[in-house]
Amino acid sequence: MALRASRRLASCSSHRRLLLPSQAQASCNPTVAAASAFLHSHATSFGYKQVREEEKSRLVGNVFSSVASSYDLMNDLMSVGLHRLWKDRLVSKLNPFPGMKHLDVAGGTGDVAFRVLERVKSVGHRAMQGTLTDTEEDTHIYVCDINPNMLNVGKKRATERGYNDEHCLSWIQGDAEALSFEDESMDGYTIAFGIRNVTHIEKALSEAYRVLKRGGRFLCLELSHVDVPVFKQIYDVYSFSVVPTMGELVAGDRQSYQYLVESIRRFPNQEKFAQMIQEAGFERVEYENLVGGVVAIHSGLKL
Amino acid sequence: MASSLAARRLLSRAAAARRLALPLASIAPRRFSADAGPPPPSQTLPPPPPQPVAETPRSEGAGASSSSSTATGAGGAHRSSPGAAAGARRQGRGAGYEEEQEKVLCASLLHVPRMGWSESAMVAGARDVGISPAIVGAFPRKEAALVEFFMDDCLQQLMDRVDAGEGEQLKNLKLSERLSKLVRMRLEMQAPYISKWPQALSIQSQPANVSTSLKQRAVLVDEIWHAAGDVGSDIDWYVKRTVLGGIYSTSEVYMLTDNSPDFRDTWTFVNRRIKDALDFQKTFQEAAYLAEAVGAGMGGTVQGVLNRVFQNRGS
Repeated sequence: MALRASRRLASCSSHRRLLLPSQAQASCNPTVAAASAFLHSHATSFGYKQVREEEKSRLVGNVFSSVASSYDLMNDLMSVGLHRLWKDRLVSKLNPFPGMKHLDVAGGTGDVAFRVLERVKSVGHRAMQGTLTDTEEDTHIYVCDINPNMLNVGKKRATERGYNDEHCLSWIQGDAEALSFEDESMDGYTIAFGIRNVTHIEKALSEAYRVLKRGGRFLCLELSHVDVPVFKQIYDVYSFSVVPTMGELVAGDRQSYQYLVESIRRFPNQEKFAQMIQEAGFERVEYENLVGGVVAIHSGLKL
Repeated sequence: MASSLAARRLLSRAAAARRLALPLASIAPRRFSADAGPPPPSQTLPPPPPQPVAETPRSEGAGASSSSSTATGAGGAHRSSPGAAAGARRQGRGAGYEEEQEKVLCASLLHVPRMGWSESAMVAGARDVGISPAIVGAFPRKEAALVEFFMDDCLQQLMDRVDAGEGEQLKNLKLSERLSKLVRMRLEMQAPYISKWPQALSIQSQPANVSTSLKQRAVLVDEIWHAAGDVGSDIDWYVKRTVLGGIYSTSEVYMLTDNSPDFRDTWTFVNRRIKDALDFQKTFQEAAYLAEAVGAGMGGTVQGVLNRVFQNRGS
C-alpha cells in the first residue's frame, strides 16, 4: 500500500517537473518563457509550487487517495488529538436542530457529520415535550467529498458506529465548486479542513451561498495563520520539520504532508478570508481563532 | 441618637462617592439585547440626568443597530472591519439581520409558555417566520437573547401605554399609587409567562448575562420613576431607584408563588412595599436600626473570637 502510494506520488512529482520549467531555462529559452507566461495566467498554487489550474484538482485527488486510509491517524498525531476538540467547537457553533438539512463538504471520513448527527439526536430527545418530534425524521446530513476513497472510509466508520440503518446520512461524491444540490436547500454548510484544497475558493463560497436557505449558516474550520510572536516560530518548526517526517514514518508519504503544510501557508489569512466570505454574499461574517491562530473557525449567515 | 446621625452621614457619603465615580454619559439607548458588551465595572446605575428629560429616544430600531454593530463578541471572536461597512450597505437592501432576529424572537415568544426560554422555542419561532432555524445559531447567548428581547419589549410596551393615554390617569393619583400602578402594569405583562419565569430569572442571573439584565432593570426603574413624574436630581435619585429596583425584584419573585386570582396578593404586596418605602423617615430609622444591629453583631463577633482566643491561651 505504501509502496504503491509512493510510486504514484513519484510519478505525480515527475509530472510536476515536466510542467514547471526551471528559472534558468526560462531566462534563456523564448519558447519556455512563453510557456511559463501561459502557465502564470492560469496558475494556482499547489503548496509552494505553481501548477496549472486543471492539474490542481487531480493532484489534490492523488494526495487524498494516498492518505485516505491513514487520514484519521495522521490527524490525531499531527494535532495531538486537538482536532477532535476543534470539530466539537465547530459543531457547537453550528447549533444543529432536529429537522435540519446539513451539508458537510470535503468531510470524507465523516467526523463532522457524525458529530452533527449525535447532537441532533440528543436535542431531539430533550425536546420531546415540545412539538419538534414530528420534524426529527426530516433531519438529513449530506457528506460530500470529491474523493471516493475518503467517502469509503467514512462509510466504513459509519458502519462501525452502527449508523448503517441511519436514513439521515448520505454520502455523495461531488466537487465543492459545482455542487449537485438545489438552490436554497440546506440549513447548514460546513467545510472542515477542506477549503484550502479547493482550486477556486470564491467559487466554493458562492456555491455555498447558493445552496443555503435564507437564515442558513456557513461555517469553515481551517488551519490558519499564527501571528503570536514566539509561538509562530515554534509552529513553523513543527510544521516544516516534524509533520512531513511523521507523514513519512506513519503514512509512508512525505510529499503529501509537505503539500499539506505548504498549502496552509499559502491560504489567505483570517481577515482576508473573512473578506472573501463577505464578498460571496454572507452577512455577520466573523472568525474565532483557536490555539492562537493555528486553527480558525469562520462563520457567515445568509439572509 | 448618635448612631442614627452616623447612619445618615454614611448614606450621604456613599451616595456622593457613587455620583463621583460614574462618568457623565447620555441616557443609554433602549435596547440592550443582542451583543451588549460588558459595561465598565463601576457602573451599576446610569447617572442622574441634568434636566428632567422630556423626550426619551423613541427610535429603538436605530438604537438597536448602532449598539449591536459597534459591540464585539467575547473571547476570540472578530468581525472583519471592512465587512462592517459592506454589511451595513447590504442591510439597506432588504430586511437586515437585526430585523430578522427581532422577527424570530417575537415569534418565539408565542412558544415560550410551552417550551420555556429555550432553543426549541426559538427554532419553532424561526419556522413560523419562514426563515431557516439555523439562524438561531448566530444569536449571541441564545436563550438570553430571547429573555432580553422580552424585557426590552415589555419596557417599550409600558412606555407606549404611558404615552398613549394612561399617563393622563396617572396624574390624578398620588406618588405611591402612581408607582404601584406602573409596577403593576409592568408585572402584568409577565403574567402569561409566569410558569416559565423562574427559568428566565435563572438565565438572567448567569454570569454572562447578569450585566445586561442589571442594565435593563436599571433602565426600567428609571423609566418608571420618570413616568411617575420624578423631577429630582439630587441625592435621592440613587436612593429612589435602588429602592424601587429592590421592590420590583421582590415583587417579581413574590409573583412566582402567588396563586390568588389575577395575582391580587402580589398587587397588595407591591402597594404595601411602596408605601413603606416612601415613608422616608421610617426608612432612615430602619436603616439606622440596621446599622446599629450590624455594628453590634460584628463587634460582638470580633469580641467573642478574641475572648475565645485569649481564653484558650490563658487556660
